[in-house]
Amino acid sequence: MLGQQFINGVMLGSVYAMVAVALTLSIGVLNFLNFSIPGLFMIAGMATWALIHAGVAWPLAILGALAITAAVSLVVERFTWRWLRGAEPFVPLVSSMAFLLLFEHLAIAWWGSEMRVLPSLFAGTDWRVAGFVIGVPQLVGLAVSIASIFGLSLLLKRTSMGRSLRTIAEDSDTALLLGVDVNRLVPVVFALAGLFAALAGVLFALNYRQVQPFMGEAVGLKGISAMIVGGMGSTWGAIAGGLVIGITEVLSVGYVGANFVDIAVFGLLLLILFVRPTGLFAGLPAGRGGI
Amino acid sequence: MSGYLEGILVLLAVNVVFAYGAFLPVAAGQLNLGLAGFAAIGAYASAYLSNTYAIDPILAILLGGIAAGAVALIVAVPVLRTRGIYLALATFAVGQIVQAALLNLEVVGGAAGYPVTAFIRLPTIAAFAAGVVVLVALLFATRFGIAVTAVHDDERVADLMGLNTRAFQVAAFTLGSVIAGIGGGLYAHHFSFIEAQYFNIGLSITIVLYVLLGGTQTVLGPLLGAAVFTLLPELLRGSANWRYVHFAAAVIILMALRPQGLLTAAQIRRLLGLDRAALSRERAA
Amino acid sequence: MTNPQPILRLDRITKRFGGMTAIDDLSFTVRRGSRTALIGPNGAGKTTVFNLVTGAVPVDAGQIFVDGRDLTQMPSRKRVRHGLARSFQNVRLMPHLTAIENVMVGQHCHNGGLFGVLQPVNLWPGNRWRAAARAALCESGLEQYAAATVKNLPYGVQKRLEVVRAMMAQPRLLLLDEPAAGLNSAETEALQVLLGRICSSSDVTLLVVEHDMHFVGALCDAVVVLDFGRKIAEGSPAEVRADPRVQEIYLGTTIAEPVERCHVARSA
Ligand SMILES: Nc1ncnc2c1ncn2[C@@H]1O[C@H](COP(=O)(O)OP(=O)(O)OP(=O)(O)O)[C@@H](O)[C@H]1O
Ligand SMILES: [Mg+2]
Repeated sequence: MLGQQFINGVMLGSVYAMVAVALTLSIGVLNFLNFSIPGLFMIAGMATWALIHAGVAWPLAILGALAITAAVSLVVERFTWRWLRGAEPFVPLVSSMAFLLLFEHLAIAWWGSEMRVLPSLFAGTDWRVAGFVIGVPQLVGLAVSIASIFGLSLLLKRTSMGRSLRTIAEDSDTALLLGVDVNRLVPVVFALAGLFAALAGVLFALNYRQVQPFMGEAVGLKGISAMIVGGMGSTWGAIAGGLVIGITEVLSVGYVGANFVDIAVFGLLLLILFVRPTGLFAGLPAGRGGI
Repeated sequence: MSGYLEGILVLLAVNVVFAYGAFLPVAAGQLNLGLAGFAAIGAYASAYLSNTYAIDPILAILLGGIAAGAVALIVAVPVLRTRGIYLALATFAVGQIVQAALLNLEVVGGAAGYPVTAFIRLPTIAAFAAGVVVLVALLFATRFGIAVTAVHDDERVADLMGLNTRAFQVAAFTLGSVIAGIGGGLYAHHFSFIEAQYFNIGLSITIVLYVLLGGTQTVLGPLLGAAVFTLLPELLRGSANWRYVHFAAAVIILMALRPQGLLTAAQIRRLLGLDRAALSRERAA
Repeated sequence: MTNPQPILRLDRITKRFGGMTAIDDLSFTVRRGSRTALIGPNGAGKTTVFNLVTGAVPVDAGQIFVDGRDLTQMPSRKRVRHGLARSFQNVRLMPHLTAIENVMVGQHCHNGGLFGVLQPVNLWPGNRWRAAARAALCESGLEQYAAATVKNLPYGVQKRLEVVRAMMAQPRLLLLDEPAAGLNSAETEALQVLLGRICSSSDVTLLVVEHDMHFVGALCDAVVVLDFGRKIAEGSPAEVRADPRVQEIYLGTTIAEPVERCHVARSA
């Protein structure tokens, strides 16, 4: 029982980790808390459902959902980042919140507010290992999230674009002096963040087979928590944070009330922000990217 | 007056009060994303006082505001040590904790919500809202207004000029929470029923949006923002869902076109002819 | 002038940024009532000296005495009350305040308690503090800008506003960081008039960082020369001009002429 819940927690945590990576990318590079990411997560999940529902083959539906979400993220970039540089520092943040609201209510207008159920694509493929049930999509999900985060950190470390991104993260003024074309790279950050949020949304949809327009909020809160626990701006911290939050959630819901969990989780977050703002795993200075 | 109209005007007045609660910290350069939590403290504390001790609701609402301010003062000192995104997230966490705590507090109904027996009508609420606007406007006509703006504009220089920047930030945060608490009390005593779910992060965000849309540089900005964005959706009619869509789209477009908000201090000075007088005198010289 | 104690004394100050030593075992004094220039090439550490004296950055070693009082450990916010005020190399007025409100920020150290904070300075046109700020603007010839938003004002006006703001703190030592940099000749002249009036109407001591040697020659009666965070010369403008190390830094160029002008300017 406990072991099974641990496994479920890891699966949930891998979704949180991807959302946290999306958040941490834009904080690490742009110092921008992008609240539209939970909305992008929802768009990906809803689009997966809608495409499959419309009869599109599931691999194509997944690709379609990823592409749509990344494109939407670029629209968000237009309106939150590009136009608003130099305004009151929290104006982009507030605009991104408006995008979350917009996405949710457009989704309701489009698809209705009820819970939508995806068909079971992988029925009967569950593995039974030593008495534990492990679903194939769960396993694939975990593998995909670890692989994609690994890929991201390779991208950031090895490619010249990654080096430019890290220069911006450390000091955007210096980056300008060094001739890094910030305007060209910012959309890349948004596209990557959108892609991670979308991957998380697709995995969530396939694993839990339920989507609805407000599905992003709870996951977004958990993603933010995972990011703080792991240390803002750190990709590997996001994985660790996601797993910690996912496992804690699954384990604690069974034993204490869900509301007490909220008090504990947010109390813990507050404590981390006060005493160790760099997160439990990373050792990087506040506000700076450590990708 | 029809019940519908009274309901809208009450909501307008309550939103104006909330908006000033968010405005004070924003004017000092801080984003309070936990404002709904302080509104909830004011709502529940005042409702508990008027329900249990049969206190006059007006007194209960004021005491509720003080309770919210007291909690704010306690959390302000550690929370305001953080900056920027960390501050936004810390206030956000505080709001979530308050909400979760109220959901578990059985004396005030827990998750089932809390009925409020005492009832106040539009005139009382409107008087409160007018009082808040006037008091904040007066406050910003004192040296406090200059000091808070100075802290907002350039904290380092303000410090070198001898301003106790932390004290001003704590004061703005606490006073804003008192006002939010009063707004919560007003809401509770008109709608006769409160539940913790109402005071969620969405409420905090909406209130902050009112302020940023109206303009953060002048005391009239929050009034305009709250008024426009409470009344406009009513005029547009349509389903609640489409109202949200319009509201969100309006926020995005407005922020893109006018990131400083609808009203700015410079604009008001221009309207009053102050800048023009300066310019013409300059040309004459 | 009878008080022989220097208004400012730096005693073996050192400041490092990372591995780089910006100020290296620096000592000098500023005579009360003098108009001292702090000069040196770019990156010599002049602004850093101002930051250390005002407490904007902490010292790594050494002591700072203002008017005989050790301010080394005092928080930056409290130092202004001990007679220190400064302007900034890049204008740092508050963009969302009007000119007169910016000037009133300078009064804060004398009017900061609860009672002071609640002074209705923007409500009562006749408020004592507002009237004082307006008078200061008048004296500096800036009255017509009182209600203007500062970010729209000409650079020279902004620079002078910074000086007026600093003077509102009624300092005994006024630190000016490149007040004439970026000004055209008319603006420089207006600034010179303002500084001349300040010096004649109060007993404030000036410590001025300036690259414009004409300006230094016309205004100052003592010079401290910094290079790589160390003092390499000190004395009257004439003495400094004669110093071979200073000539080496300045390639024997600009210093000669302004010292001549200095006498002209002061006899005029
Ligand atoms: N806060 C800081 N952090 C890191 N390095 C600094 C800091 N402040 C100054 N420095 C460095 O210290 C050195 C001295 O700088 P400072 O600004 O004092 O020079 P300056 O004499 O005022 O030059 P300029 O004439 O260009 O204004 C420079 O190399 C500068 O890069
Ligand atoms: Mg300098």
